[in-house]
Amino acid sequence: MKTIPEAALNVMGRTAYIDDLPEPRNLLHSAVKLSGSARGRMTRIDAARALALHPSVRVITWKDIPGENQLGFTVADEPLLPEREWEYWGQPLVLCLAETKGLARRAAELVVVEGDALAPTFDPREAAAKGDFILPPRTQRSGDPAAAFARAAYVVSGRADSGGQEHVYLETQGAIAEPRDGDRIFIISGTQGPAVVQRAAARVLGLPMNKVEVETRRLGGGFGGKEDQATTWGCLAALGARLSGRPVKLCLDRKTDMRATGKRHPYSSDWKIAADAEGRLLAFEADYYQNSGCSCDLSAAIISRTLFHAVGAYRIPNVRVTGFLCRTNLPSFTAFRGFGAPQGIFVMEAALDALARRMGIDPVELRRRNLLEEGDITHYGMPMTRVRARESFDSLLEKTRWRELRAEVDSFNASHALEKRGLAVVPNCFGVSFTKLQMNQGGALVHVYQDGSVLVSTGAIEMGQQVSRKIARVTACTLGIPIERVAIERTTTLTVANTVPTAASTGSDINGMAALAACEEIRGRLVRRAAELVGGPAAGLSIEDGRVVRGREDTGLSWDDLVLKTYESRVDLSAHGFYATPGLFYDMEAEKGSPFAYHVYGAALVEVRLDVLRGLYAVERALIVHDVGRSLDRAVDLGQIEGAFAQGLGWALLEELAFGADGRLLSDTLSTYKLPDAHFLPARLEVEMMRETDNPRAVLNSKAIGEPPLVYGIAGYFALLDALRSARPDGPGMYDLPLTPEKALDYLTGDRPEYGREKAAKGDTPC
Amino acid sequence: MTRISLTVNGKRYERDVAENRTLLRFLREDLGLIGTKEGCGAGECGACTVLFDGLTVNSCMVLAVEADGRAVETIEGEAKDGKLSDLQEAFQKHHAVQCGFCTPGMIMSTRELLHRTPKPTVAEIKEGIEGNFCRCTGYQQIVEAVLDVSGQLEKKGELRHA
Repeated sequence: MKTIPEAALNVMGRTAYIDDLPEPRNLLHSAVKLSGSARGRMTRIDAARALALHPSVRVITWKDIPGENQLGFTVADEPLLPEREWEYWGQPLVLCLAETKGLARRAAELVVVEGDALAPTFDPREAAAKGDFILPPRTQRSGDPAAAFARAAYVVSGRADSGGQEHVYLETQGAIAEPRDGDRIFIISGTQGPAVVQRAAARVLGLPMNKVEVETRRLGGGFGGKEDQATTWGCLAALGARLSGRPVKLCLDRKTDMRATGKRHPYSSDWKIAADAEGRLLAFEADYYQNSGCSCDLSAAIISRTLFHAVGAYRIPNVRVTGFLCRTNLPSFTAFRGFGAPQGIFVMEAALDALARRMGIDPVELRRRNLLEEGDITHYGMPMTRVRARESFDSLLEKTRWRELRAEVDSFNASHALEKRGLAVVPNCFGVSFTKLQMNQGGALVHVYQDGSVLVSTGAIEMGQQVSRKIARVTACTLGIPIERVAIERTTTLTVANTVPTAASTGSDINGMAALAACEEIRGRLVRRAAELVGGPAAGLSIEDGRVVRGREDTGLSWDDLVLKTYESRVDLSAHGFYATPGLFYDMEAEKGSPFAYHVYGAALVEVRLDVLRGLYAVERALIVHDVGRSLDRAVDLGQIEGAFAQGLGWALLEELAFGADGRLLSDTLSTYKLPDAHFLPARLEVEMMRETDNPRAVLNSKAIGEPPLVYGIAGYFALLDALRSARPDGPGMYDLPLTPEKALDYLTGDRPEYGREKAAKGDTPC
Repeated sequence: MTRISLTVNGKRYERDVAENRTLLRFLREDLGLIGTKEGCGAGECGACTVLFDGLTVNSCMVLAVEADGRAVETIEGEAKDGKLSDLQEAFQKHHAVQCGFCTPGMIMSTRELLHRTPKPTVAEIKEGIEGNFCRCTGYQQIVEAVLDVSGQLEKKGELRHA
C-alpha cells in the first residue's frame, strides 16, 4: 500500500492548522458580534461597555472600512459588515479586537446594536410569489414538452423538497492577518480559494492585489464551505490588522461558525413527468425554488448545476426546467459537495419513483429502460460520449443478483409485520468542470533544484482529498522520477496567481494538468541537454525512474547528474505551467452548449431495515459501482467514494437543518445537528471501481472523484421509502429529504398527512 | 491560580493554572501540545480526546485542575523516538486519514479500546469510536486499520472494498 505524504504527520498530530500555528508577536485576538434577529434596520451601535472592558479592546464597524464594503463579485449584495440592514439571524455586525480570545468574545457580547425590526421571509416559494429573486430565473429546454405531455400515456406531477446541510468541516473557519512592510498585508486563510480572499481583501482595504498576499497550507475539511465563505473571515482579520497595525487572528468557535456561515441550499421543487405505455420517458418539467438565503454568493452557479443535472442519468427528449434564486432572510446558502446537482437529481428520482408507482412497475426497471446512451444529446445540447450509464447500472444489478434480491426482500416483508426491508438503486451521471466557464483554468510553478529534488506549487488546496498526492504522482510520472523526490508546496498568491478555488471536483484535473505542462517544459530542456551529454539525437531519449534511457537501454546518466549538468550549462530549471480546460463552451442566451469536459458514471444499491413500530431504521448494505477512469490512486479514490457516500446518506436520511419560526438556527451544535457516526454507515459497504478505461479529457486518463459519489446517498432515501411502503402500502408518496426517523414514524402513523400530499399541479392527479 | 502537578505522556509537569482553564487549553496553550484539536469545545465531536488515567475524556470538558495528580496521554505520546506506533502505521496504511483533523482524537479513542479489548469485533470498534466524528472518511477505512493492527484483518469480511 502506498503512503500518503501528509498522512505520517497527520497520524502524529503534527500537521498545523490555523489555530495550531505559532502566534506572531503582538497578536490581537478577535471575535464577531452576531445579529440576534432575522432582519432589522440598524439605528445605533453602542460600543461603550465593550470599550470599557479593557484598554486593548477595539470595536470595528463598517464605517472603519478603508476600501469598498463589498464581498460579492457576482452580485454586489454582500457587505463585509452591514451598513443599514442585517439580513439573517447570526450575521456578523461588528468586529472586536482584544489581547485575548476571551476578552474579544466578551467585548463582542457587550456591544449593543439597536435597530428596527423588519418583516423577514424564510420560505423560497413565498419569496418567489413576491418576485424577490437574486437574479432573474433561468430556463433550459429541449424538444416540445407541452406536445409530449398531451400525447403521453402517463403523466404524473408532484412536489419534492430537500433540506440544507451543514458542512461540519472539523476545523472551523479562521484566518490570521499581519501587516507587513508598510502597506502590505499577509493573510493566512483557511480557504479553498486564496485568490478569492486576496481579491476581496484588496477591495475591502482599498489596496491593489499586489499588496495582498494570501497563503493556505491545508484545511481541516472544506466540502465547499470554504470556497466562498472563508472570505469573510480572511477579510475581517485583514481589516483588523490594517486598522490596528498588529497581527490579528480570527478563529470561529463551532457555534459561531454554524450560525454565521452558509450551508447547502434547501430546495422546494415542482415536477411533472410523462411516459409512453412502455415506460419510455417522454417529457420532464420542473421548477426549482432554490432557497438562496440573503445574498447571491455562489447561488447562480449552483442553480446552473441543478439545471444541468435535472434529468440525472436519463434520456428524456422533451425538457423544460426553470431555476429560481429566491432571496430569504437566512444565511447565504453556498457550495456544498455536489453543488446543486444532488438537489436536482433528487427531484428527478422522486418523479421516477412516482411514475413507477403509477405504472405499477419496479422503479429499478423504469430507471433501467431510460438510461442515457452513447450519442444522446442532453437537454442543454451536449452530445454525450463515452457514456457508461448502462454498463454501471447493469453491472450493479448483476452483482446484487437484483431479481433474487428483490424477491427475497419481498418475501421477507410478506412474512414480517414489524420489520421491513427496503431496496433502491440510483444511477449517477455527473458533469465535471466549473459551470462558470471562466473558472476552468489553473497554473503551476515547478522548480527543479540543483540536487534533483522537485518543488511544485499550484492553486490546489489540500483538504483531505489528497490532491497533493495526486499532483506529486503526475509530476513524478511526467519527469520520470520516484515520487519521493517531489514535494508539494502550500498555495500562496505569490507563486501562482489568479487561481480558482479548489472546488467542483476539478482540483487534480486542472492543477494536475498545469503541473504536467510545466514538467513537460522542463523535461524538454533536460532531454536536450541529455542528448548533448550522451550523444545522439534527443528524440528517443527519455527519463524513467531517475535514469536517462534510450529505448530500454540505460545511457549511464542519472537524473541527479543530468539536473546538475543542465544547471551548470545555465539552463532554466523552473517553469510555469498553465491549463485551460479545452472544448468548453456555453451560450447563456440559448442555454445550449458543452459545459463539461466529461461525465462520471456509476450506480448504487442501498438496503435498509425498518423497525415499523418505532420508525427507526438501519442502513444495512450498500453496493457502489463507480467510474474512476484510470485512477491516480485507488486508496485515495476509495476514501473519496466512501466519504462522499457517507455525506450523501447523511443529507438524505439524518442531517436536518432546523430554523425556528424567527429564522434562528436551532441546529447550531453537534448535539442538535445529527452527523453520521461510525454506526450509521452500512455494516456491509462494498465499493467496486469499474473496469478502468481511458479518459482523454483529464490528467493521465483519471476522472474527478470529489463530488460525484455523494449522489449515491439518494438511494438511501428511496430504499427507506420502499420499506415504509411495505409497511403501509396505502401511504402517500413522500419526497421530503432528509427522511429522518421522525418523518418515518409520522408516515407510518399517518400523523403528518401533508407528507406526500403532492401538490396537484397543472390539473394532473397526484399519484 | 492553582498549582497542579501531573504527567503528560510520561513527563512530569508542574504549572500554575487558572481554575477555569480547560485541560484542552492547558495542553495546547500552556504545554504547546497542539496535536490535540478543538473541534467544538462542547464535548460533542471527540477531536480533543485524550487519555486520562488510561480512559478517554474530551479534554475540552475537563478542567486542568482536575488533572492534578493524574496521568494524561496525548497523540504526541503515540510515536516513540520518532517512530510511528503500530496504530499510527495502520491508520496510514489503510488511508484512515483524510484531512487529519479528527485523527489525533480518533487514535486516542482507538488506543483506549485496544487497551481494554485487544481483539475487538467490528461492532466493538464502532462503539469505541462512536464519540469521534470524522466528516471525511465514512469510517470504513478507520475500522479496517483497527482490525489490521489487532491482527484480525480476516474479520474485515463485511467491510469489503473491491
